[in-house]
Amino acid sequence: MSEIQLEQRTKRSLLFYPKIYLMIITQDIKSKMHYRADFFISILGMLATNISGFVAFWLIFQNFPSIKGWTYHEMIFLYAFSLLALTPVQLFFDNNWSLRFAVYSGDFVKYCFRPLNLYFYFVSEVVDVKGVGQFVFGLAILIYSWEHLAIPVNFQTILLLIVAMISASLIMIAMMTAAAATCFWIMNSGMVMVFLFRFKDYAKYPVTIFNQAFQIFFSFIIPIGFVSYYPSLVFLRPGHIHPLSYLTPLVALVFFYGSYKLWMRGAMKYSGTGS
Amino acid sequence: MAEIQTKKLPFRRYFALTRGGILELTAFRMSMALDFVGNIIYMIVVYFLWSAIYESTPTGIVNGMTFSDTLIYLTLASAIFSLVEVYLVWQMGRDIQSGQFSLYFTKPTDFFLYQFFNQSGNIATGFIVTFLPTFLIVDFLSSWRIPIGVNTLFFAISLIFSIVINFCIDFMVGTLCLYTQSFWGINMMKEVIVLLLSGATIPLAFFPHTFQTVVMYLPFQAIYNVPLQILISDSLSFVDYGKYLGIQAFWSLVMILLARLFFRHASKVITVNGG
Amino acid sequence: MSTVIELEEITKVFRVLNRHTGLKGSIQDLFSRDYKDVVAVDHVSMKIEDGEMVGYLGPNGAGKSTTIKMMTGILEPTSGKILVNDRVPYQNRKLNAQHIGVVFGQRTQLWWALPVIESFRILKEIYGVSDAAYNKNLMMFDDLVGVSELYSKPVRQMSLGQRTLCDILASFLHDPGVVFLDEPTIGLDVSMKSKIRELISVLNREKGTTVVLTTHDMGDVEALCKRIMIIDHGKQIYDDSITNLKQFFGSYRTLRIQPAGYDSISQEKIEQWTKELLVLCPQAQNVVMSSSECNLSLLVPEDEVALITVLAAMQEIVRVKDMGIEEISTETVIRKIYEGEADKKADVLAGEEV
Repeated sequence: MSEIQLEQRTKRSLLFYPKIYLMIITQDIKSKMHYRADFFISILGMLATNISGFVAFWLIFQNFPSIKGWTYHEMIFLYAFSLLALTPVQLFFDNNWSLRFAVYSGDFVKYCFRPLNLYFYFVSEVVDVKGVGQFVFGLAILIYSWEHLAIPVNFQTILLLIVAMISASLIMIAMMTAAAATCFWIMNSGMVMVFLFRFKDYAKYPVTIFNQAFQIFFSFIIPIGFVSYYPSLVFLRPGHIHPLSYLTPLVALVFFYGSYKLWMRGAMKYSGTGS
Repeated sequence: MAEIQTKKLPFRRYFALTRGGILELTAFRMSMALDFVGNIIYMIVVYFLWSAIYESTPTGIVNGMTFSDTLIYLTLASAIFSLVEVYLVWQMGRDIQSGQFSLYFTKPTDFFLYQFFNQSGNIATGFIVTFLPTFLIVDFLSSWRIPIGVNTLFFAISLIFSIVINFCIDFMVGTLCLYTQSFWGINMMKEVIVLLLSGATIPLAFFPHTFQTVVMYLPFQAIYNVPLQILISDSLSFVDYGKYLGIQAFWSLVMILLARLFFRHASKVITVNGG
Repeated sequence: MSTVIELEEITKVFRVLNRHTGLKGSIQDLFSRDYKDVVAVDHVSMKIEDGEMVGYLGPNGAGKSTTIKMMTGILEPTSGKILVNDRVPYQNRKLNAQHIGVVFGQRTQLWWALPVIESFRILKEIYGVSDAAYNKNLMMFDDLVGVSELYSKPVRQMSLGQRTLCDILASFLHDPGVVFLDEPTIGLDVSMKSKIRELISVLNREKGTTVVLTTHDMGDVEALCKRIMIIDHGKQIYDDSITNLKQFFGSYRTLRIQPAGYDSISQEKIEQWTKELLVLCPQAQNVVMSSSECNLSLLVPEDEVALITVLAAMQEIVRVKDMGIEEISTETVIRKIYEGEADKKADVLAGEEV
C-alpha cells in the first residue's frame, strides 16, 4: 500500500460510524415527525400489541397459579425483558424488510458506491419509531415486575442488565439479518422473514415448558431462548444460574457475526442486473 | 337492501376473480409451506405452554375447561384464523398509498363485492391448505374428541358467517386508510383487539365474569368463539344452534351495512379531494 | 498528463443458468447444472487521461453497464487488468469509492426524506471533506446553479431535474478524481438538459475532474464529449474523437429537400420516389430517404454517388421548393455503427490505430 492509501485508512477514527449514524438518524426522525398522524398511530398500534400480551398473561394468572413453577411477576419480567430485547431490531434494523425490493429492482447497487460498509449503509437508512412505544412499555413493566420480585438495584445488577440486553437483542437482529440475506439467493425471501419474525412471540415463554428436543431447538437452532429466558435467569434465579445463561453474550456474538457474514456474502455476490 | 338483491346478477364475473385469486396464491408454494410449518410450530408452542399451565392446577379443570378442551379450542382458533384472515388491509392500504386506488372507480364493479371475491381465492386456498389439515391433525391427536355430526354442518355454515364478519371489519380498516394514509398501526390494533376479544388468544372461559359479559355483546366473538362452541359443545339443541347462527347472521348484516355505508362516505373524500 | 483509468484486455464472463419455464422447470432449475457462459465484455482496452470527458456509448445490452461496474469496483473482471486512480477497483471497494463519484440517471443516491443540505453534510462526514473544501464547493455550486434555494427541500419533493442536479453536485462534492455519470439527462425536458450539460461541462473544466459519461442521448454527446468510445456485443468498436467519427463516415452527407405541394410525406410516397430515383440514378442504391412532416431527407454516400447528381435527379421527380446540405449528424453515424455497418471500416481503423 502506498503512503497515501495508508493515510486514508488511519484517518477514520473509531467514532466514524457512530458519528455518521447519529447524523443520519437524527435527520430521519426529524423528517418522520412531520407526518404526525402516522407517527402516533404506528406507536399506538405497536403499543396495543404489547398491552395485549400483558393482558393475556394477566388473564392466565387470574385462573392459574403458575406456569412450570414461574409466578405471575416472574412471567411479566420475562415478557418485559423480551420486549426490550426485541426493540433494537425493530428500531434500527427495520430496513432489512425492504432489502428484497432493493435487490430485485436493481436499486441495491447504489449502496455499493460509497466508501461505507454495505451493511451499515443499508441498515442506517431507516429508523422505525414504532419501537419507541414498545421500549417505554417494556421498561415500565420491567420496573413493575423488578420491584415486585425485590431484585436488588445496584451497580452489578444494572451492568448485568445492560450486557444481557445487548446480547439478547443481537439474537433477534441476527435472525432477521440472516432471513433478509436469503433474498440474495431465493425469490420468496419475504416469507422467510415473516416466518422467522413469528418466533419473537415465543421468546416470552420459559424454555423449560418444552420437552428435551424442543428445548434444544429453541436454544440452539432458533435461539430465542437466549432472547429472554436464559439472560433473565441471572436475575430471577440468582442462586443457581443455568450455565447457558453465561453463554448468552457468546451465542449472541456468534450468531450475529454469522448472519452478518452471510448478508455481506450475498451483497458481494450481487452486483445489479444484467449488462 | 336493494343493493343486496343486485348481488345475484354478475356472479360469473366475480367467480372469475376467485379463480384468479387461487391461481395467484398457488404460485407461491414455498410461502404456503412456510406458513404451514409456522402454524405447526405455533400449535406446538401452544401445546407445551398450556400443559405447563395446567400442571399448576390440582384438578385439571378450570372454569369448565380441561387441558385438552383448551388445546383443541386454541388450535382450532388458529385454524380459523388462517381461514378468515385476508390481506385485504395491506392491499387496500398499499393501493391507496400508491394512488392506484382511484382506478377501482373506473371499473364497472361494486368495490365491496370486488374485494370480497378477490380475497375469496385466498380464503378457498387457506381452507384447503391450512384449515382442513389442521382440523384433521387436531382431531387425530386428540383421539377423535371432536364430535362429528350435525354440528359439523352447522360449523361449516357458521364459518361462512365468520368469514363475512371478519371481511367487513378488515374492509372498514382498509377504508380508514382513505382518511389517515397510514394503515399499519391501525391494522395492528385491529388484529390485536379482534384476536383478544374473540377468545382466539385466550379462551373466553378464562375472562373475568363482567369482562365476559361485555365481550359477548361484541361482534368479535362471533368470528371465533361462536363457531368453536358450535363445534365442540356436546349436546346442543337445534334452538341453541339457531341462537348461535342467529347472532352471527345479525352481526353479518350489521357489519355489511356498516362497511358499505362507511365506504360510501369515505369515497366522497376521494371524489372531492381527487384521491 | 497521467492516465487515470486504464483497462487492458478486460473480459467479463457471466455464468447464466439455462432457465426452464413452468413449475416443473423451476424445480428442475434448482438442481440444474446447465449453465451457459455469456460474454458481457470481450477484451476491452482503453486509457483515459486526467481531466478528460469521455462519452461511452452502446446499444442496450452491449456491455456498457458491466464495464462501468468494473471501473467502479463492484464487479470483478474475469480476466484482464484494470486500474482506476492507480488502484485496482474491485480489490478495495471502499478505498476506490472514496475517490470516485457516481450518478445514476434516475436513482438518487441522496437520502430520500432529508433536506438536500443534510445529505451534503452527511456526505461531507462520510468522505472526510475539510470544512474549507466543503464551503468552497458549495459556493461554487451556488454560483453555477443557485442550489442554495433547494437546500431545505427533501429530495422526495424535488422534480426529476432538481434531483439530478443535486445528485451531480453531490458526486463532485468530495473532489473525486473520476466521476461516472450514467444517463444523467434521461427523462429531462430540453431546458433542463441544457442546464445539466452546462453544469457538467463547467465542473469538468474548473475542477479538472475526469468524467466518464454513458448516454443514449446524442445531445449529451455533441455538447459534452470530444472523445467517444462505442461498445457493442461486448466488443469495443470505436475509441476516438467525435470529429474523426464524422470523418469515419465523412463521405456521407445529408440532402434536405422541401418538395412543393406536400404538407406531409407518406411512407408510400417515399417508396415511390426511391424507386423513381433508382431509375434515374442507378448508383443511388444506398441512398436512404426519410421524411419529417413536409421535409425530405436523403442520406447520400458520396463515395458512391455525388450529392449533386442525386439533387438533379430529385428535381426531375419533385418540384424543389427549398433545399439544404448538411454534414452527417453524430446520431446517424452512431446508429449506423450500432447497425453494424461500421464493421468493415472498423477493421480498417483498428488496423490504422495500432
